[in-house]
Amino acid sequence: MRYAPAILVGRLVRFAARLRKPGGGSAIPGLIVNRIAPGYLRRTLSGFPQGLVVVSGSSGKSTTTKMLVAILRAHGVDVFTNPSTANISQGLTSALLERADWRGRVPGDMAVLEMDEGHGALVMQGVDARAVALTNVMVDQIDRFHDSDMVAGMLAKIAARAHEAIIVNADDAYLERLAAQVSPEVAVHRFGVSQAVVDATPRGLGYTETSATRLAPGDGVIVEGVDGRTALVNDGRAFITTSLPARGVHYAVDAAAAYATAKAVLGERFSAQTANEALGSIPPVFGRGERVTVRGHEVEFVLVQNPTSYQLNVDSIEPGTEQILFAMGSDVRDPSYFWPTDASSLRRVAIVSGSKSAEAALMLAYDGVEIDRVETDLSRALDDFLALPAPASGVKTIVFTADSMRRTRAHLGLSGAE
Amino acid sequence: MTLTIVALLPAYQNTNGDSENAAVLRRRAEWAGLEARVVAVDTREQLPARVDAVVLGSGSDSSLEQSRGRLLTMHDELRTWGTEGVPILAVGTGWELLSWGIERPDGSSVEGLGILPGRAVPAPARITGDLVVASPRFGTLVGFENHAREYVGAEGSPLGRVRSGVGNSRGSGQEGVVMGSVIGTHLHGPVLAKNPAFADHLLGVAAERASLAYEPGPRAAMVDEYATAAREAQLGAVRAAAPLARG
Ligand SMILES: [Zn+2]
Repeated sequence: MRYAPAILVGRLVRFAARLRKPGGGSAIPGLIVNRIAPGYLRRTLSGFPQGLVVVSGSSGKSTTTKMLVAILRAHGVDVFTNPSTANISQGLTSALLERADWRGRVPGDMAVLEMDEGHGALVMQGVDARAVALTNVMVDQIDRFHDSDMVAGMLAKIAARAHEAIIVNADDAYLERLAAQVSPEVAVHRFGVSQAVVDATPRGLGYTETSATRLAPGDGVIVEGVDGRTALVNDGRAFITTSLPARGVHYAVDAAAAYATAKAVLGERFSAQTANEALGSIPPVFGRGERVTVRGHEVEFVLVQNPTSYQLNVDSIEPGTEQILFAMGSDVRDPSYFWPTDASSLRRVAIVSGSKSAEAALMLAYDGVEIDRVETDLSRALDDFLALPAPASGVKTIVFTADSMRRTRAHLGLSGAE
Repeated sequence: MTLTIVALLPAYQNTNGDSENAAVLRRRAEWAGLEARVVAVDTREQLPARVDAVVLGSGSDSSLEQSRGRLLTMHDELRTWGTEGVPILAVGTGWELLSWGIERPDGSSVEGLGILPGRAVPAPARITGDLVVASPRFGTLVGFENHAREYVGAEGSPLGRVRSGVGNSRGSGQEGVVMGSVIGTHLHGPVLAKNPAFADHLLGVAAERASLAYEPGPRAAMVDEYATAAREAQLGAVRAAAPLARG
């Protein structure tokens, strides 16, 4: 009852925000409730009967969270989860309000939350989690986090909130060091890839520091092999062939993370078959090597979010692909940290676009890539790119950062899941 | 005769892609019709017999001691290159390691190699953002800074005056340090790609020492148009936020 007035205010604000801008203003009610009832978030998060599970890390947390929720729901667990855009305090409170009854109570057995590594430590103050799953430590947002030590420090704060288990990527040396420091009553579960998978990724896994050794069979959930959108996973008892929402080793690792976390949380109730079916039912992800027919052309979309996904995705573009549009938007404030990557395999890019087109062109040129044209206006670039005759080899391929992806989708009238 | 450009400690000192400046020098040399190669040096054993230019990037604070230990094994070489006029570009913590020393907030310090004058002291808050510098040697330098410390004690010979951003320290109005052909700067990432005049100066010095002639090639002229556009875009955003200080 104590939060009822705050909840009411939050709902009124949400209603008012919607009136003004349909679909918008979603973080504002959370902001207001956080201000007038600062304990609401903490109390509500701690109040789920089967506890709270938190997923954090530099990259892969959205996908891992989605997969974990799917696995838990397939096991009959009523899960509350946050949309990936609402992983900071206000957004999270708004997401809770969205589902809360008039007393502020949120229905559900268990909460599974994706937590931003920057805000997570703050949001998690005083919140008790059953389990915390950590994906990796990468430096993908230099502007915010400056360096990997800082990211690791923030993840350690989030991990310290787990009272039952932490689930860590054993191939990430930072996370292994973090796991060595949790209190003895907290169980440590691990996931990772086999040496064969490492050997097949010539540029490595992309973590700031990769562990010297791989998990031994039986010590965790291990990705034994990845072939396109299929992964072979060894959970210590059985081998499972599972399908991924997009191709790429990082999706297989996300699946292993979700699988290991579900296994840790469900205990006896966990079924490998149910988990596998749930993973297989996740729809393909937009912008991750997805092919769509646009204006009569088959177009492949490739999203790059950090240097690691950039390198992996660039490497996975078929060599000799004739028509590439490369767009870098304002979400990349300082492109410096992309420079250690190597895009020379692209050889030629038809159009470089986006508000950071000049920075992108400069980087590609020093990688030895030929650039036919730089067109900062993305709409014009898209129109002209799609108007080019169908390529003789490969499909039209659009590589973009998140901001350019949103603009591309809006311009081409493509809906679809994030 | 191949120009040999050394990227020092790329495993530790490449947080913002600063080591890639070695590749920028190689490309520009090649575009000028010269032969060039980049040699990544993480231990003294990997040092090539002849060194024409050196790039030392910025790293994370947890690897300061480790990097310092490795640099110490190459202390003699660094001194020799410095006195012989081999161009050395040191960025961020790489520069700080070449200074007299680095002071930590708890009062402890890391002794530097003493190649460059001045020392790094804790800043009240981390300094990040656009950095624009008017340099008497290289014109307007445009880039980004991201550092936890200020740099003091080298006021006699800066790289240039700060027109936007912080540079060496709040209120100093200066950025970087220059000692002969050894240059320390907070400008991180592909600073030589974005500021071709800076790159060409270093290449000119390196080429001259090797009795070669360096004249930027036609490909460089094309690529430098991207650099100009990138500089203009960043300068536009900087100007929109606040007027530039007079150079
Ligand atoms: Zn590159």
